[in-house]
Amino acid sequence: MNRAALCGMAVFLGLSASSCRTAKPAAADPLAQAYATEADWNDPQHVIALNYEQAQGKRLFYTYCVWCHADSTPAGPSNRSNLNPMPPLGNDGNALNPLSDELLRNVITLGGSAMGKSALMPAWGETLSQSDVQAVIAFLRAIAAPPYVPQARPGSQYHLK
Amino acid sequence: MSAEDMGKTPQKLRLAFALMSVLFLVALAISPAKDALLEWKRYERQYAKFADSRAERKQLLADIQPGVDQIWIPPLGVVDRCTTCHRGINEPSLNDPSVPVVFRSHSAVPHPVSQWGCVACHRGQGRATEVPEAHETTLAWEEPLLPVRYIQASCGVCHRNELAETPLLNRGRQLLAEFNCVGCHRLQGIMRPKMIGPELTNVGTKVTRQWIYKWLKEPRTITDADGNVTVNGVENETEPRMPKFRLTEDELLALSGYLSVQRRTPVPPARFDSRSANSVQERPETVAQGEVLFRQMFCTTCHSIAITRAGQTTLIGGDVGPELTKVGSKVNADWLVAWLKNPQGYLPRSEMPRYGWSDEDLFKVTRYIQTKLTDPDLLANVPALGAPTAAETELGQWLFVQKGCSSCHAIEGVPAAAEFGPDLSGIGGKTISQLEFGQSKIPRNLIAFIQAKITDPLSVNPAARMPQYHLEPGSLEAITTALLSMTGEPQTPAGTRLEVSAAQPEFHPAGEFGKLYERYKCSVCHRFNGYGGTLAPDLSFEGSRAPRAWLVSFLKSPQTLRPTLTVRMPQLNMTDHEAGVIADYLALTLQAPEVSPGSANINEYTPQMAALGKQLYEVKYQCQSCHTIGSSGGYVGPSLSNAGNWLTPEWIEAWLRDPQKLVPGATEPRLPLPDGEVKALTAYLLTLRQSPGGNTSAGGRAQ
Repeated sequence: MNRAALCGMAVFLGLSASSCRTAKPAAADPLAQAYATEADWNDPQHVIALNYEQAQGKRLFYTYCVWCHADSTPAGPSNRSNLNPMPPLGNDGNALNPLSDELLRNVITLGGSAMGKSALMPAWGETLSQSDVQAVIAFLRAIAAPPYVPQARPGSQYHLK
Repeated sequence: MSAEDMGKTPQKLRLAFALMSVLFLVALAISPAKDALLEWKRYERQYAKFADSRAERKQLLADIQPGVDQIWIPPLGVVDRCTTCHRGINEPSLNDPSVPVVFRSHSAVPHPVSQWGCVACHRGQGRATEVPEAHETTLAWEEPLLPVRYIQASCGVCHRNELAETPLLNRGRQLLAEFNCVGCHRLQGIMRPKMIGPELTNVGTKVTRQWIYKWLKEPRTITDADGNVTVNGVENETEPRMPKFRLTEDELLALSGYLSVQRRTPVPPARFDSRSANSVQERPETVAQGEVLFRQMFCTTCHSIAITRAGQTTLIGGDVGPELTKVGSKVNADWLVAWLKNPQGYLPRSEMPRYGWSDEDLFKVTRYIQTKLTDPDLLANVPALGAPTAAETELGQWLFVQKGCSSCHAIEGVPAAAEFGPDLSGIGGKTISQLEFGQSKIPRNLIAFIQAKITDPLSVNPAARMPQYHLEPGSLEAITTALLSMTGEPQTPAGTRLEVSAAQPEFHPAGEFGKLYERYKCSVCHRFNGYGGTLAPDLSFEGSRAPRAWLVSFLKSPQTLRPTLTVRMPQLNMTDHEAGVIADYLALTLQAPEVSPGSANINEYTPQMAALGKQLYEVKYQCQSCHTIGSSGGYVGPSLSNAGNWLTPEWIEAWLRDPQKLVPGATEPRLPLPDGEVKALTAYLLTLRQSPGGNTSAGGRAQ
């Protein structure tokens, strides 16, 4: 984003215009570049492998969510810093790990205001199917930092001995 | 023999009997022991132990069925025994990373294991019950597993249409078409692109023999170790479409000689109207004015230019057309004028619009290109080349066909070589024994073979005619995926029934609009009825969206609607009449079925409604998080400062009800808005009008 802004300002001042590409090999399509993996947002050397559901979540995240839940987007500047309250980053484990899948599903499906959160978050229930929403949650869980550990209810069948 | 004698059996014989009995016993035991030590039984026991250690042991143990487990689906030809070891594959509770990979359950996929088996997607050997035979290539079992990063290749075996779920495969198929692989190879389902290499019938009128020599020798732009471009004035892409042919000095001389005499239609010397002779005089400010024009016309939306600032070279601009940094040293002056006047006069299939230039502007821009976009050292290392000899020309023509140039470039009267390279329609199903690795040191597998063939064909076959492509890792992976999906005819009877891609719908407008559509090449950037480029908005329903007055003013002077977008529609210098024709056509023809023109009752949009809409916009739905009005708001959607002039009330209502119905894949969420809220929001948006001066007036009553 910074690079794009610098280029844009340095060149063609006053006339705006023109897309800006650097000579360094740029990702043509960030989704196609790494379909089954996502580089850790805080540490690009650490690559997280995604399963099918998480990979579909990544695709949807980069289509609908990235604009407000990431600091850089495929199209340049992010809208996140423009919003108040500032939405949590997609990988913000401290904010998202304590929330249950069910709550996240409701916030995404019904929107922030329905769940007593910020109305800046629109309702996606008519746009995304329930399996889409589940895939996005699976992706968020996969990239969470600190890592997400599923909260098992004591005594449930999924609880480790 | 009496009974007494029998009791006196010799010692030796007894020993022999005893030995034999032990031997028989051992022989009898070998078989069950071997059976018990089988690899899959070890996994069976391990799984039972693992299941017993889990909290949900009752459930897991109840699901265990001893013996070889087999998924048998006759219509698909599936006989998979993978679940003999991968026993937890269908246990939803075993999906966390703490479970060993062998026993972990599969994530949710559209084709569940129980209905499709494993091999259909992952390949490998379904019938095998030993690890190496199931997963790798062994002497007699040649089907290895497909690495997961290429798994989309398996989707492509059956799904010939584009799936949203398989971006890598889609990109690979697109690249196969873009690089015109079908020019030489047979590839199922890949269509020849509309534009391949430029036609060379008149190339001798455009560039010199020296330039052709240089281009053939090193067509690709060189980037140095720091990633800086050292542009050679020809092609800017990090992935140029022209591959590198390994030509000898003699071949370079012959081909450059042959091409330099291709001048079927001579270019007339640039001549300007005598009435404007005064304005086409070279003045000190001509070049600077030309530069300003070059920017105002937004040439950089399609063409890029390398700019060096603080020691770093960057390419600024789009990649629809070629990079122009040194074009002034490349093309000859008369050709440049003729080209800018009418690109289709030189290349009938060129995608460049025919601009409405005044002589004065054309003169200034060409002077700028010839003075500033140059490099005196461009042809420094090229030997002095005179007119080619007859022998050189003849050899050049032979090479033109022989090297495969004619597969991408046409020269009138030179037939293209048909079925030039090997048939690749079954490449994805080839086994190791069917591939020729030669002396290369690459790993012996299909993926390494495909990638070596593309990036360094000589390493696999020293006599290869295949040129060398320079691809970025992501693109190489995408192309590999697309090639892996080409396994020839469907192997199972069920496969033949699966869908095959539909032909692309074409858009051929007629009449006066049709002429303008061809002249301004609208479809290079815009999409019409599923046909055209993706750089600019889809215009299939533009007539429903924007009123005629707005369309005309936009066409006369394009302004961007999206604050963060850096690419702009070029200034095409349309006349009022042309803009009117286009606007009329869009308004009459390109209508969305969901939006009926004139159906909105504008009397409904009262100031009270607008005030309610403002409340909904700002408080209930907080639309400002994505849209800008005036100078505040978000960057995700387009600016709504001029929505009242830009959008029709019918479109706004239909859009608010279901954005994806009007523009598939739109980012805006579909909200469950009641009818009253739709009307109120529409009333509010219609009050947002910008006077031509640029001031937003948010109070005016909708008309």
